[in-house]
Amino acid sequence: MAGVSDADATTRPKIRVEGVGKRYDSERGSVQALSDVAFDVRPGEFLVVVGPSGCGKTTLFRTIAGLESPTDGRILLDGEPITGPGPDRSMVFQEYGLFAWRTVAGNVAFGLEEQGVPEPRRAERIREMIELVGLEGFEDAYPRELSGGMKQRVGIARALAVDPELLLMDEPFGSVDAQTREMLHAELLSVWAETGKTVLFVTHDVAEAVALADRIVVMAANPGRVREVVDVDLDRPRERTDPAVADLVERVRGLIGEQSSTRPRG
Amino acid sequence: MTGGDASDDVRTDRTPGDDTPGDEPATDGGTRVDAGTGTDGGVETAGGATATGSDAFGLASTTAPALDDLDARETLLGVAGVGGFLALWYVAALFQPAYLLPSPVEVATAFAGELAAAEPFTVPVVGVETTAPRLLVMLVESLYHYVPGLVGGTVLGIAVGVAMGWSRTVEDALTPVTRVLRPIPPLAWIGFAVIWLGVNHNGAAFIVAIGAFWINFYNAFSGVEGVPEGTIEVARTLGVDDDLAMIRKVVLPAASPSILTGIRTSIGQGWMIVVAAELIVGNGLGFQILNTAQNLAMDVSVAYMLVISLVFLVSDGLFRRVERRVLRWRA
Repeated sequence: MAGVSDADATTRPKIRVEGVGKRYDSERGSVQALSDVAFDVRPGEFLVVVGPSGCGKTTLFRTIAGLESPTDGRILLDGEPITGPGPDRSMVFQEYGLFAWRTVAGNVAFGLEEQGVPEPRRAERIREMIELVGLEGFEDAYPRELSGGMKQRVGIARALAVDPELLLMDEPFGSVDAQTREMLHAELLSVWAETGKTVLFVTHDVAEAVALADRIVVMAANPGRVREVVDVDLDRPRERTDPAVADLVERVRGLIGEQSSTRPRG
Repeated sequence: MTGGDASDDVRTDRTPGDDTPGDEPATDGGTRVDAGTGTDGGVETAGGATATGSDAFGLASTTAPALDDLDARETLLGVAGVGGFLALWYVAALFQPAYLLPSPVEVATAFAGELAAAEPFTVPVVGVETTAPRLLVMLVESLYHYVPGLVGGTVLGIAVGVAMGWSRTVEDALTPVTRVLRPIPPLAWIGFAVIWLGVNHNGAAFIVAIGAFWINFYNAFSGVEGVPEGTIEVARTLGVDDDLAMIRKVVLPAASPSILTGIRTSIGQGWMIVVAAELIVGNGLGFQILNTAQNLAMDVSVAYMLVISLVFLVSDGLFRRVERRVLRWRA
């Protein structure tokens, strides 16, 4: 949120992916999951990485998270190479990964406890985050009591509580029904607008990518690489039925090599 | 949360580390409604009534139809079963001498007799010499074997299980050893128990500890193995950066259902083992069962068997309450 006043911050990318390659070696040979992947994520940008399964987008995501290290190239966060996971890049992913033994408030509190945020401030922050994702009244509920959409809102609140430089999201809405997904898209965009966070969002769903992104990094498989970076100059909210939106979806699908189709995603 | 014991037997233990993916809370057919608030204020109603939070989730419990009738039916059948068993036993005993099959009445009398008989007794910890009912004296003797064995074996078992579940290195190093040692029945170590520790409390406690160790070891190990990788990775990105903190803050709570199942199993198994160990070590409830039987006082023998059963039921019941409290996040 702060720090944007820094003159450098507007020009320097938040994330710079520099010639990243990732090779997995096993007894049966080696697999090139990523090959010479390069792109920038600008500060405050909503960047979506989209691609077919096997294009290495999850590997890329995990590498940026610091959970894996690249075999070639490097990734810079604010100019500094990423060496491991940390609260400057908090994650939200499909299976929620909530702490089932903690309440909603307890989940949001986790990262703050780790950062040693003292009590009055911590409680305040938890309240803010829960309000941000619209879960007031559920502070004391356990994850098992929540629907998929609510669980993911907890995931988002928990990730944002630590005030990360980058919010990393890996197919975060892959487990919720289509209607809930659209609602969550709208909510995510408003959270993003409100917090000014840089978001890197990974999905295989082209329509989702077009609905959310400032720019779309389209990936191709075998080996995983960047096919094209597409600017999305469309006003939000973007209706799926809007011809400009539909055209872009078709164009990105074409890049991926998916069959053109008007069939709703499923 | 308070009371509500009826649901005890309905609960099924899940496999360790399961994440309950569904959205529906697993309230045993609507019998229990935990609002999840954890405030044990006592005002909260168990049963069909909606507790505060739950309609807000749109998951308001469907009032279980005729729950009381079901409960009553269960109780009635239970009582009938016990009555039938006692009647059958009584009739069968009519045609047998008491040294072959004592009747329930004789067993009850023997039980009362063991409660009445005074036995010299040294009060534990304080060390004052006095007398106490023989039955209690024997129970305390057994507790000298049971408690230290159970506690020691459990703590050690959990520690080794967690270490092995968490660290690949420890797992690789210890797997062969545990594979070989685990199938050995605890009682097979009785010879070592006697020569290392003697025919005494420690010897029996040692056997109990071995039994408790393996049960807890295995449950802790599989519980930790079952912690989803994603949960650990999320914690890592939220700033947990050393193993001990990760184990304390994430691994242990996530594995706690499995660990607690291990503890509860060993609480029960511990009594089985203590009885067996006492047949050799020579005091306590187990010894009384064998000793009285050797004198053909089968009524007394059965009375001591019942003591074991009672003590198990009490300890298991108490632990279930603890377990339910600790795992209230799990429904």
